[in-house]
Amino acid sequence: MDKLPLGLAMDLRHVVPYKTGSWRTLKPLYFMQTPPCAHGCPINNDIRGFLRVLADKEDYAEAWHILTRTNPLPATCGRVCPHPCEDGCNRRDFDAPLAINSSERGVGDYGLEKGLEHRKQVLSLRKEKVAVVGSGPAGLSCAFHLAKRGFKVKIFEAEREPGGMMRYGIPAYRLPKEVLNREIEAVLKLGIDLECNLKVGVNIPFDQLTHDYNAVFLGLGAQRGTPIGVPGEEAANVFTGVDFLKKVNSGKTVNIGRNVVVVGGGNSAMDCARVSKRMGADVSIVYRRTRVEMPAITEEIDEAMEERIMFRYHTNPVKIITDENRVVGLLCIQMELKEADATGRARPVPIEGSESVIPADTVIIATGQEVDYDGIEVAQRENKWISTSEWLMTSLDKVFAGGDAVLGLETVSAAIGQGLRAAAAIEDYLEGHVETLASPPPVVYFKDMNSYYYQPQKRFSKEAIPVHERLKSFAEIYPPFDRGEIIQEAGRCLSCGLCFSCNNCLMYCPDNAVNYSSAAGRYEFDYDFCKGCGLCARECPCHYIQLTLEK
Amino acid sequence: MELSEEILNRVEKKNLFAVGHRACGGCGQALAARLVADAAGENTIACVATGCLEIFSSPYPDPSWRIPFLHSLFENVSAVASGVEAAYKVMKKGPVNIIAMGGDGSTADIGFQSISGMFERGHQVLYICYDNEAYMNTGVQRSSFTPYGAKTTTTPMGNKTRKKNLPFIAADHGVPYVATATVDDYRDLQRKVKKALTIEGPKYLHILVPCPLGWGHAGDLTIQICRLAKDTGLFPVFEIINGKITNVVKVPIKKPVEEYLKLQGRFRHLFKKGVPTEVVAEIQTIANQNIERFNI
Amino acid sequence: MLKYLEGSHAVSQVVAMCRPQVISAYPITPQTHIVEDLARLVSEGRLDAEFINVESEFSAASVILGASAAGARAYTTTTSQGLLLMTEVLYCIAGMRLPIVLTCTNRAISAPLNIWNDQQDSMTVRDAGWIQVYAEDNQEAADLHIQAFKIAEQTNLPVMVCMDGFILTHAFEPVDIPEPQEVDAFLPAFKPQHIVDPRWPRALGLYADPRFYMETRYILHRALEKSEDVIKQVSADFSRAFGRPSGGLIRTYKLENADLVIVTMGSVAGTVKDLIDALEEEGKQVGLLQIGSFRPFPKQAIYRALKDKMNIVVLEKAVSLGRGGILASDVRWSFPRGERKGRVISSFIAGLGGRNISTDSLREMVERVCLEPVELDFLGLNKEIIAERDL
Repeated sequence: MDKLPLGLAMDLRHVVPYKTGSWRTLKPLYFMQTPPCAHGCPINNDIRGFLRVLADKEDYAEAWHILTRTNPLPATCGRVCPHPCEDGCNRRDFDAPLAINSSERGVGDYGLEKGLEHRKQVLSLRKEKVAVVGSGPAGLSCAFHLAKRGFKVKIFEAEREPGGMMRYGIPAYRLPKEVLNREIEAVLKLGIDLECNLKVGVNIPFDQLTHDYNAVFLGLGAQRGTPIGVPGEEAANVFTGVDFLKKVNSGKTVNIGRNVVVVGGGNSAMDCARVSKRMGADVSIVYRRTRVEMPAITEEIDEAMEERIMFRYHTNPVKIITDENRVVGLLCIQMELKEADATGRARPVPIEGSESVIPADTVIIATGQEVDYDGIEVAQRENKWISTSEWLMTSLDKVFAGGDAVLGLETVSAAIGQGLRAAAAIEDYLEGHVETLASPPPVVYFKDMNSYYYQPQKRFSKEAIPVHERLKSFAEIYPPFDRGEIIQEAGRCLSCGLCFSCNNCLMYCPDNAVNYSSAAGRYEFDYDFCKGCGLCARECPCHYIQLTLEK
Repeated sequence: MELSEEILNRVEKKNLFAVGHRACGGCGQALAARLVADAAGENTIACVATGCLEIFSSPYPDPSWRIPFLHSLFENVSAVASGVEAAYKVMKKGPVNIIAMGGDGSTADIGFQSISGMFERGHQVLYICYDNEAYMNTGVQRSSFTPYGAKTTTTPMGNKTRKKNLPFIAADHGVPYVATATVDDYRDLQRKVKKALTIEGPKYLHILVPCPLGWGHAGDLTIQICRLAKDTGLFPVFEIINGKITNVVKVPIKKPVEEYLKLQGRFRHLFKKGVPTEVVAEIQTIANQNIERFNI
Repeated sequence: MLKYLEGSHAVSQVVAMCRPQVISAYPITPQTHIVEDLARLVSEGRLDAEFINVESEFSAASVILGASAAGARAYTTTTSQGLLLMTEVLYCIAGMRLPIVLTCTNRAISAPLNIWNDQQDSMTVRDAGWIQVYAEDNQEAADLHIQAFKIAEQTNLPVMVCMDGFILTHAFEPVDIPEPQEVDAFLPAFKPQHIVDPRWPRALGLYADPRFYMETRYILHRALEKSEDVIKQVSADFSRAFGRPSGGLIRTYKLENADLVIVTMGSVAGTVKDLIDALEEEGKQVGLLQIGSFRPFPKQAIYRALKDKMNIVVLEKAVSLGRGGILASDVRWSFPRGERKGRVISSFIAGLGGRNISTDSLREMVERVCLEPVELDFLGLNKEIIAERDL
């Protein structure tokens, strides 16, 4: 032991500090949480990450690379995704959710404009080959993620051009073909082979694929419209939604006449209606329930309404009235809503004697779609969709599947998400190990956060072209966004569950038990001295600090 | 010597008040002491009165100070700092920042005569009062800074008097720079320390430092409680420069005092089954008077 | 140079020559003339020091504590209530080993209020850890201050120079006031050993838990014991440098052949010497042992001096109420265990609150102790004004 100094006057340069960490019963941890945006995103995009790069560094290119780690088609998703990310955005409980979808479009468009190229995860090429059937969002995504992992991939596409429903289902005013073409081009640049006009199971036996390739991914989509089974459906001017959109989107001439009636309440129905409107028709939508129950994206319904499409709720087709195999009208019956059915939506029940006729030159049935299984025999569920394991493997060995063919009717993003997961599963399958799914960290909700440190800021609002302008053509209704505004919008991100270097923990720790490690570029707890008071966790704006019980 | 806005606004983290002190978890005073030491910098002598801060930071052989530290008694820190200043002056050493610091008891009660003497004589010393509104070191007894209504071990039915208003007493001594601050706004606090140290003569900085133990709140609420003290108007943050109140921190949306009181055990007796007693209304009156007086 | 001046001014002039850098004091009778003179010297620019007018003795002591801790030579002076008000700080100064010099112009303690001389004040703070030296006359009072700074700075112990209030402070006597350069030659500039300085950050005044506290007090006790050698050495050096004896642990007068020895300290020694001379002419051999240093208490020196003296009377101007003579007690315990038997050590309390100690009253005391040992008595007590119930 040191000898006592004169008058107990101690040299402060040689103090060995007393370790107060032993007092601790609670232990703070820096712990990245899942933000609700990423949690809501079917692709699990690192939304927080790309927004931070935009806000802090105004680096669009880096933001694009962060987005395209998961999403091959940001410019597309930035237009067509119903953005469940924004539904979860914690900012919703503060002022208004972030305009994530618009930001994504901004970043996607930047990538296209600058011709940014995707980065491969693995530079070396692997020997295994994978066949991807279908070049819709699921197939493209799967091919993209496999190619990034170094696999040799070939896509087989039945149509003339790649894109699946993105090309043949979504109208150009929502997704300009140019955008889609260039995004697909960038994906293919990863070294993916694409063969179009080759329908697997028809032009080439399915067995051949399973024989020639180490694995096969089925991204068949749901390309077949389903009839509703009313008399007159076979008449000439009756289309399924799928067929109608495909014809229009392929540039074929369709004579629809003056009155168009669209049956259904989903996105496809909205698309058919709005396309018909742009083709000069008066359009009504016939739907059994009300707006509340409509499965279509809210924005789509809003825009359809803006475009003066007549919505007939509580209305159900009974019979298509024809004259010489041409439609002249649609006989409908009024419905009333009873207690909820299995889907949770109110059950429509016909009101007797309420029949009426809606005059129609064309009827478009956009109520359902199904998978075209021609030549591909694979186990199904509900006699409809491909049945897969949790890892998206079908009943057939080495055959995986994803997208609408598995999910039922879903979004582009959902299909991309499945493509991503399938690629990971295929990699694991080919490498012979079972994927161990680490459970993602918990989701941060607004109540977990400290809102004191955030300032209210107006949400970015996109300005649509006026309706009368819109209806003149198939031009995209939202012109390009101002890049500076998008950066400002990104600055609204609360960075839920991830440190944004606010310094609170460092400055507020009464025990000096937080240090900033410039080597590691992050804050670190000094557990020798942390007493576990929890002040850091309380004052962490974004809930990046968790208090755990000290063992 | 004038400091640039850039230097005044810069946040300082040097850990001159370092790890290893024995304060309770979430201690506002420990936090304030570091903010003060770091703002003042290495060229500083800290004269500390007996009290919580001294006890938790200065045991032999492992004190937490990394700047010169001088402690002797409870009631004399102002005089001790005066002596240090006089010595530096006569020895023509320095310049050096001399800071005297103490809790509310050593400032406003037992050390009141000493601080008054230091102010009146005009020593070049910055006095910092860490106000935790009672004698915490000895087990939460009432001081003349204990607020109206607060329960302490010597006011078991709640304190019947209002806080002594030392910032104004200091200003009336002719102290050229008087300020109040709270630990939640560390930039403001450090700015005031730096600013004070540039001014000739005695300075008084009054910092509200929540005491989780004495106030009866969880250690993680220290910052939040500081904010509520300001947002309710109960603790006005301002400067008095050459006798003129200035730079009052405005609170656009005032909170009712209940929000502040309800978080703290020392005010719990003011609510019967959650319903505020009339003492709460009186405390609200105090807050309202502050709001009016300082135009918060 | 011999000057005819008041005791207070002899002290203030010599203190000024010791070049204290910080002086802080609060006025109290009979100390005032010292501080007034020092304040004048500072304000006239003849002493380069900070003179801090404080609001209490407590702050005076605290100011010089701070000044000393910052490395300045520091000085204060007080008495009586002022000294008691300082008490807390006195203990701190010693515990922190700060070499401060304080002049105590000894005065009685309240209540009742009394501004006249006794030594109850300094005796009361005898355990504070300060060296206490007592002056017999104004020359010694002046000389002791020069020695005090040297002793303090060599031992890192504070020194209290005690001089009887009024009797010395307000008495005009010729005093040999040294030249400044003589003092400079004797007393080197202060080189502090442990100070607060941002260049070499140190902590002064840390608290010590039970693992360390007792050792710090033991060290302080030992430092005081060991300071006896320094006191002796400085006294010897002083005598050599200034050509007159002064200071030291004890001094004796006609002790060698004395049958009775009077032990005392302070200015009363002069009266005692007069009595001894008178008694000598009457054929009575009485000697004097004068305590120079009350703390440290030079028990070995006392024992050596009084080894073969069987009749001793201790005369002191303070009392430990409910116990008796403080100095008497200390003197009694200066003899080793086996040496106390047969030895008579009487105790007299005298001169409290300025009560005159005349040669007559001292003669009375001597006569009494020659007849019988006196355990404790108050010299010159007027029992006529004490009610029966209070006796």
